[in-house]
Amino acid sequence: MKILVAVKRVADPENLNKIKLSAQGKIDTTGLEPKASPYDDYALEAALRLTENGTNTKARLGEVVVVTFGPKEAESMLRAMLGTGADRAIRVDATDDVLDGDLVARGLKALVDKEKPDLVLLGYQQVESESAQVGAQLAEYLGWPQVTFAGSIKSEDDRALVVGREVEGATAQLRATLPAVVTVLDKIVKPKSVQSKHTSATHAYPEGVRFAALMAIMAAKKKPLAEVKLAELAPDATLKVHYGAAELPPKRAAGVKVKDVKELVSKLKTEAKVI
Amino acid sequence: MSSPKPIQAINRYKADLRELQFLLFEQFRLQELLGKAPFENWGEEEIRSTLSECYRWVREVIGPLNAPADAQGCRIDDGRVKTPTGFQDAWKKLYEAGWKAIAVDPEYGGAGAPHALQVLIEEMISGANTAFAMYPGLAFGAAEVIESFGTPEQKHLYCGRMFGGQWGGTMCLTEPQAGSDVGSAKTTASRNPDGSYVIRGTKLFISGGDHDLAENIIHLVLARVDGAPAGTKGLTLFIVPRIRPSADGSLGEFNDVDVANIEHKMGINGSATCMLNFGDNGACLGWPVGGEAKINQGMPQMFKLMNSARIAVGVQGLSVASSAFLNALEYSKERKQGSAITHWKDATAPRVPILEHADVRRMLLDMKSRVEGIRALAVKLAHHQDQVRALTGKDEQKAAYHQGQVDLLVPLVKAYGSDQGFRVCETAIQTYGGVGYTKDFPVEQYCRDAKIFSIYEGTNGIQAMDLVGRKLGQAGGANLQAYLADVAQFVQKYSGDATLGGAAKALGLAQEALGGSAMRMLMWFQTGNVGMVPLQGNRFLEMMAETTVGWMLLQGAAIALEKKKSVAAGHPDAAFYDGKVAAALYYARNVLPGVEFKARLMGDEDKSPLDIADASFATV
Repeated sequence: MKILVAVKRVADPENLNKIKLSAQGKIDTTGLEPKASPYDDYALEAALRLTENGTNTKARLGEVVVVTFGPKEAESMLRAMLGTGADRAIRVDATDDVLDGDLVARGLKALVDKEKPDLVLLGYQQVESESAQVGAQLAEYLGWPQVTFAGSIKSEDDRALVVGREVEGATAQLRATLPAVVTVLDKIVKPKSVQSKHTSATHAYPEGVRFAALMAIMAAKKKPLAEVKLAELAPDATLKVHYGAAELPPKRAAGVKVKDVKELVSKLKTEAKVI
Repeated sequence: MSSPKPIQAINRYKADLRELQFLLFEQFRLQELLGKAPFENWGEEEIRSTLSECYRWVREVIGPLNAPADAQGCRIDDGRVKTPTGFQDAWKKLYEAGWKAIAVDPEYGGAGAPHALQVLIEEMISGANTAFAMYPGLAFGAAEVIESFGTPEQKHLYCGRMFGGQWGGTMCLTEPQAGSDVGSAKTTASRNPDGSYVIRGTKLFISGGDHDLAENIIHLVLARVDGAPAGTKGLTLFIVPRIRPSADGSLGEFNDVDVANIEHKMGINGSATCMLNFGDNGACLGWPVGGEAKINQGMPQMFKLMNSARIAVGVQGLSVASSAFLNALEYSKERKQGSAITHWKDATAPRVPILEHADVRRMLLDMKSRVEGIRALAVKLAHHQDQVRALTGKDEQKAAYHQGQVDLLVPLVKAYGSDQGFRVCETAIQTYGGVGYTKDFPVEQYCRDAKIFSIYEGTNGIQAMDLVGRKLGQAGGANLQAYLADVAQFVQKYSGDATLGGAAKALGLAQEALGGSAMRMLMWFQTGNVGMVPLQGNRFLEMMAETTVGWMLLQGAAIALEKKKSVAAGHPDAAFYDGKVAAALYYARNVLPGVEFKARLMGDEDKSPLDIADASFATV
């Protein structure tokens, strides 16, 4: 199986409290270390699990290609993903300010036409604007089946996947014929969430995203990393989404201390009007 | 009655990766050695990835085991040591990840990384779980000895398997009557006709002397061959496997090595400290490291190894101190207690985080400056080692200079790193207040774990003797002269600096006091006043360590000031660089002047500890 994993490079989500807003309402992430959006890391982990037998994680039984849209500096993120186990990387040369979800989806479509993967995996959304656009738009442009919010993936053969789609309070088991687009939740990195056709049904992974071994980090620089111009993929670079201004959520007003339950109930009725 | 709260399996280890990157790429400019022999496989990107991936690994895999393993400890079950829950899995994952192979020769499956990176990787492994880190640390050290001195067959059989975690390893020196006095060792070795030796004796305080982490354990045992001279000159280092392997590595017979006991200790409770009996049944065989030609060469072989083991112990001190500081810092931002000093009479004034209190800030900056200074010292030493590797065979004169600095700095890293490591942990407890003394926070464990660092691998008293008795006079004093000249050059360059000038002058005074005290030591030797040397050795070591740490902090501050010029206001790097300058100025103003003061005390030649009668210490 050949899998394309699309990755967005975001400002370190563990330090989101350090994000600043300019007077014009522009988001300033200077100084925050750029990282892969966590759900895209989960997508890579799922892709690796789908292309191995679980017990020997060094023998790849398929091809995993990671792709990102970003500047030259984004290559260190791709290189780290090659260290984690991806076979190949592609960087589409662009910066965030000339992109929107739609343009990324169109660019990815052109890339998919060229690469012809059996499956495209993405995080269900990226952690910056949480727009969850690219996966769905890409499937639409490709005319492929899509499953969003995937919490589990099983591949029994090369023609279809059984995907557990998380819906409120339940899981829908969907069968998607390949090629397809699947977007994943964090549940996808649980020990038994992903099973390739080579993996035994009893195999359990350590929970989470695998570590890159030292030797794999060293070997990553020998793996291919290609650069593609955005214009080659999407000659029409018109954006459909324009960002106006951002503002911080209003500060929470100070709370009120009540004397007793009676006062609380009365305030809930008369002031908060929730009961 | 309810039982105490269970110990939680959560990671408490913290590191500041920005600081590690600063040292490697800004202060020591490691990139200048990368991409060419012997580091042709390494670039900046690999090093950054390695640091961040290893940090993630230690926090997720061994960090959560630290407190539970401390509570659980080791036990002997059916004659074998059982390590704490989770250690077996961690051992397997450690070697899968490859962190222990980072600086190992590629011939044995290693990555051949610079020592400067290895030191920081070791800091993370040790800081996340000191007790666990002991087992692979000892295996690594023992393998290094065999790599340096073994016969080709011994290297082939042991090195790859020990560097790769298939087999463990230990260093067996201490005996009940032979601690610091290694030469009193009584373990015997009797030659068999086939060249093997029958080993008999008891070894004590053997870290990782037995465990359940690897299929075999290779002991390196100091023993005296029948008829060999008394003292250290008659000691030979033997390879004594727990299970005898065939030449192809397959395991054969049990080699009569028994664990008699494990110690109940103050700290590093997850590390099994064993008493080992060799040859109780007369069936323990050993082979001299390097073969028959190396009989009675045990001590020179050990000395070679001691450099790296002693660096590792200094880094252990650094590792827990660093995490203790970062944890105390976090707590002091959250814990509210008292009002600002400007409102101290107003009982209704808002409570402020303890970070705002002057005495807490003093403790935090004191810890920061010591931790960062010791780390810079350790990386400086490792950087000299890397340059020895890079220059050997190309420029022998420069390589000799760097090796001289390595030799000089080893006792400083070991002794100052371990002494100050413990004291920083103690300051961290003080910063927390009462809760720091409980097991709800990691600092009390750090403090207990850290106390051993100043004792093992040569007590810090031994380190002082190594410095003043061996290292100062090495190469006719040329190493010390080169060191003093390096400091003087820095002082000259920055004495007029607007920000650092005063501090650079303080460093200059410390350097002069240190040089003068070294001369005084020499004079004591020459005039037969040798009793003063061991009496003042410890003080001299501290003076030299403080001078070096002050120098390294100021060197970092000079770079930080320069770098800050091109950083936009509000960028996190601006605060980071300011912090480097603040730590250096604090240390220069509050610690460096003590060097001059101590030199004065040395000049007073106070002999009261020698003069006091034994009976006068106390009446009991």
